Amino acid sequence: MATGQASTKPPDANEYGGDEISALVLDPGYSTTRAGFAGEDVPKSIVPSYYGLIPSESTPKHTKQLFGDNSINIPLPRISISNVMSKDGTVEDWDTAAKLWEYAITSRLTNTKPTPLVSNGLNDPNEDITEDITMEGVEEQEKPLGENPLLMTESGWNAGKDREKGIEIAMENWGCPAFWLARNGVLAAFASGKPTALVIDIGASTISITPVHDGLILKKGVTRSPLAGNFVSNQLRLLFSSSQPPIPITPHYLITSKTPVDAGAPAQATYRAFAPGTEPHPSFRHFQEERVLTEFKESVVNVWTGPGRLGGHSAQGGTNMDAARQHPGKPFEMPDGWNQMFPALDRYRAIEGIFDHKMALSDANNPPPSPGQTVTALISSSLSQVDVDLRPHLLGNIVITGASSWYAGFTDRLQQELQAAYPGVRVRMVASGQMVERKFGSWIGGSILASLGTFHQLWISKKEYDEHGSGIVEKRCK
Amino acid sequence: MFPAEKKGEWEATKIRERKATNTPNKTEANGQADADITMGEANGTSDGQAAAEDQEDDPKFEEDPTSEEGAVYPLQDGRIVDWSCFFALLTHIYNTMGPPFHTPILVISQPTWTAQDHESLTQFIFEKFKTPAFCLMDSALAVCYAYATPTATVVDVGYTKCDVTAVNDFLVSDLGRGSALPRCGGEAMTQRLHDLIGGKGFTNDVCEQLKKSPICEILPPGTDMPAEAEANAHVSNPAAAASTGASGSGAGQRGSLAAQGGAARGPGINTEVGDADEDREFKEGEDDEGVLDVAAIVASGKTSEFLAKKEREKAAKAAAKKDAADAAAVAKERSLPNSKRVKATFHYHERRPLEELNMNGKRAMDGETGQDGGEPKRQKTPEPGVDSGAQTTENAAATRREERKEERRRNREGTAFIRKSADVGLERFQAASGGILDQIADAIHRCILSYPDISKRSDLWDSLIILGNGFKEALIGTLNSRYLISPSSATIFTSELPSNFTTPVATGANTPQPQHHPPSHHGPGVNPLLLAATTASNPNLAPPGQSQQQLHQQLQLQQYHQQQLQQTHQHSSHAQTPTSIKLLKMPDYFPEWKEVGMEEAGFLGAQVAAKVVFVVDQGISKGFMSRTEYNELGPQGIHESCL
Repeated sequence: MATGQASTKPPDANEYGGDEISALVLDPGYSTTRAGFAGEDVPKSIVPSYYGLIPSESTPKHTKQLFGDNSINIPLPRISISNVMSKDGTVEDWDTAAKLWEYAITSRLTNTKPTPLVSNGLNDPNEDITEDITMEGVEEQEKPLGENPLLMTESGWNAGKDREKGIEIAMENWGCPAFWLARNGVLAAFASGKPTALVIDIGASTISITPVHDGLILKKGVTRSPLAGNFVSNQLRLLFSSSQPPIPITPHYLITSKTPVDAGAPAQATYRAFAPGTEPHPSFRHFQEERVLTEFKESVVNVWTGPGRLGGHSAQGGTNMDAARQHPGKPFEMPDGWNQMFPALDRYRAIEGIFDHKMALSDANNPPPSPGQTVTALISSSLSQVDVDLRPHLLGNIVITGASSWYAGFTDRLQQELQAAYPGVRVRMVASGQMVERKFGSWIGGSILASLGTFHQLWISKKEYDEHGSGIVEKRCK
Repeated sequence: MFPAEKKGEWEATKIRERKATNTPNKTEANGQADADITMGEANGTSDGQAAAEDQEDDPKFEEDPTSEEGAVYPLQDGRIVDWSCFFALLTHIYNTMGPPFHTPILVISQPTWTAQDHESLTQFIFEKFKTPAFCLMDSALAVCYAYATPTATVVDVGYTKCDVTAVNDFLVSDLGRGSALPRCGGEAMTQRLHDLIGGKGFTNDVCEQLKKSPICEILPPGTDMPAEAEANAHVSNPAAAASTGASGSGAGQRGSLAAQGGAARGPGINTEVGDADEDREFKEGEDDEGVLDVAAIVASGKTSEFLAKKEREKAAKAAAKKDAADAAAVAKERSLPNSKRVKATFHYHERRPLEELNMNGKRAMDGETGQDGGEPKRQKTPEPGVDSGAQTTENAAATRREERKEERRRNREGTAFIRKSADVGLERFQAASGGILDQIADAIHRCILSYPDISKRSDLWDSLIILGNGFKEALIGTLNSRYLISPSSATIFTSELPSNFTTPVATGANTPQPQHHPPSHHGPGVNPLLLAATTASNPNLAPPGQSQQQLHQQLQLQQYHQQQLQQTHQHSSHAQTPTSIKLLKMPDYFPEWKEVGMEEAGFLGAQVAAKVVFVVDQGISKGFMSRTEYNELGPQGIHESCL
């Protein structure tokens, strides 16, 4: 220990480069919440925005909350699944959201109890830190993010109150030294290296169009509709229930073992039985069904790539529906072993509603989408809100992001639709070929932004927050 | 570690007489080699070898209430919960190894360690040990190094938790990673056994021993539990049945498993070489000692002891012969493989304080019957204070070194062991019945299905690495019976579609392609992708990868893909996974690891990696953080270079 004292001191902040401030980027979405350190290429912590609730036996009011993939996929007695986000992509349950985000950050990025590096050496009497990191335990007295500036993302239509709530949680609950709130559309444009772009973000619950000009959001041009990933899931549910005979979706947790059966034959599986009173809540089943549907969407669903719409006519005069019938199907096997070849028409049909409202399936619970909700209509109405001179520029820089844009053929089809709608303009799209980049586009943009040396003067510091209160967000983060 | 008298200081051992190395290893067993430390010395593995020895001595899943009294475990479920204790542990290990001054250090990090943990550890290692270079390596990646595979799904079942990680091209995927699944480790199985048979007076400690004993098996799903009637079923070749557990030698009770397409059952936990001796003794002549695990015996340095033991065994068997008439029924029962017996006898050690023994030496063990034919006297013999290596007699599993080590250690502590036997019923097959397998299987399914590169998923299913003992077949069976996608019978299409496509293009598939958008060039004709799919991938017409025509079409397809966005290619070439589930073969160029099993493969991988990172690569690929880098960047620099 020849160096003695000097080496145990933390390196001085000035010694570090400008971007070495270990800023955190938090990007909450409807399906997952992404968190990670700025400057990295993927978020380290990806936590479902869904959380589990277990009602306690004795006090019906008191429920236990479960966060994280590991916990919410186990069919615990009477578990129910909720989401902290509302269907339109804004935070619904702030109390739980704060806990969930804190879980996302503390489980993988920082510790629940960050001990300053100087004081956690050998000779410190802190042997009583033995409590486990439990789900409830994330509420610690110490502020978990005392050393990390936080960049949070929000949707383009986030209300003023919700924006203030964000900074309150960051500053009051987590003790962040600095904070910034950025629009996820803008960040997705950054991730593609475009200061000016028309960002089409297709998430789980919402599809949104965000025009961005010189790094600034054009708020009046932001449009959105619910025809996104979950819409396709519901289309599939309708498709399954309307087929003859109806196709049941049995999620994996209900199956103990399955036996191969012929296509279309009824499933022969051993099912898992739950003791009465311990069955998971229907919401748990719904959540697990979603996993099956995700697999289905990944492997079977395909976007009709034209020419023309699925409901339209082809050049030879026949309908495209007829043409689609000639295309090969794809087999899919349900968790219970039931399997079938899904004809091409079904594969196209499930997602056609995003482009063509007339083709969407509907029933009492799933009203048909309005004509203005399709992605093409959204883009048109978004463009009509922005300056005429800017429109060709935006159409030439379309950024596609969001996990639900991953359907096979989606970009081709969108290109076609837009080219047909704007014949004279050059429509150009940027869509990453990497699923990770597509999925985490806005997070990656945040990671880039927060690690830029020039961005550091923009942070809202704790001091400013103390002086001006939460209203400062409205003033600074435009 | 144990808290020392002064607060904040730690002792490696509770009891001085004990060999110091035992304790840190025991402590590590808590998190299942959570902190394997490899001293990756330049050309040598002398240090590394030493560490490996330590690791092998490490009694896995061992529990010892007396000596653990007051012990603090710095790692819980892989998380570092007590930093000062953890640092003390590292220091102790470092001092025990006593590496030369300029020794680089490689630490295997747990998936649950946070970025901040990495920084703290980096700072500690650099400043305390003055190491010239430090490497932090992910545990799953280390396992891949051991198996010499770039792509694997690593299922690491530890003491209290289980990690499920997808690794592709030596890159660990954080997406969907099942890190530290709680209550999925060996401890949970012990707990389950305790819940099942705890009422019979079995303590946790005994359950732990039962779990490790060869009679405790986890049967693959679909295997019928033995029923009373089957106990007398005729077995054509009992010896073979006992030693391999082969279904063919039984009366066909296992037909159901095979019919379900379950994995062929290899030798189970109890059928490792030598373990079956017990079953064999009665059938075979006394001259036949069965297969001896010579290497293990020699390695344990107990050769003479073992020979003496064998002599006694022979004598015992001679005695047993006299009671042959009585033993016949027992023998018949015994000749069945364990998995078909309703009951099995289980020998265990119970710790009693010496005084109690002296007072109450002849106390009968209530509810425990010795069905042990020829050796009734042995069972209740108190063995205070002597080296008990010799007492590990009839149960060949007891020759396992760690058990003996454990015993010797315990004997030094002033407690004595009573060797007891008890009959355990079908509960012994139900250690994992508490839903552990379901939970792990679900985590594997989730982990692979959330792997972003869809075309790689079937590779991940085909390269499972399961680290842990005794439940591999059961876990594979569970996966097979729950998730395997069988080829669809109704159509000419099969789920093998993706493998046809991905094989030839796999290397190019990852190459980043410039972003360009394809013009909408689809003519009215059929989509060439679909055309290719309809003709090329029909296995009835053309066996995969063999016909020229198919190759040609694949080439066309590839060209088509060049014009497409890459996602289109990856997507459309995909169908559901898994169409097959395979365990990755253990590499055979580490013969010494084959015997002990690959449960600690992470350590082997770390040895390999240390050599590669520190010696071969010399830091060109930024595999480690050097002292200079540390001085420049501080602890945060570790994120740039950790593996």
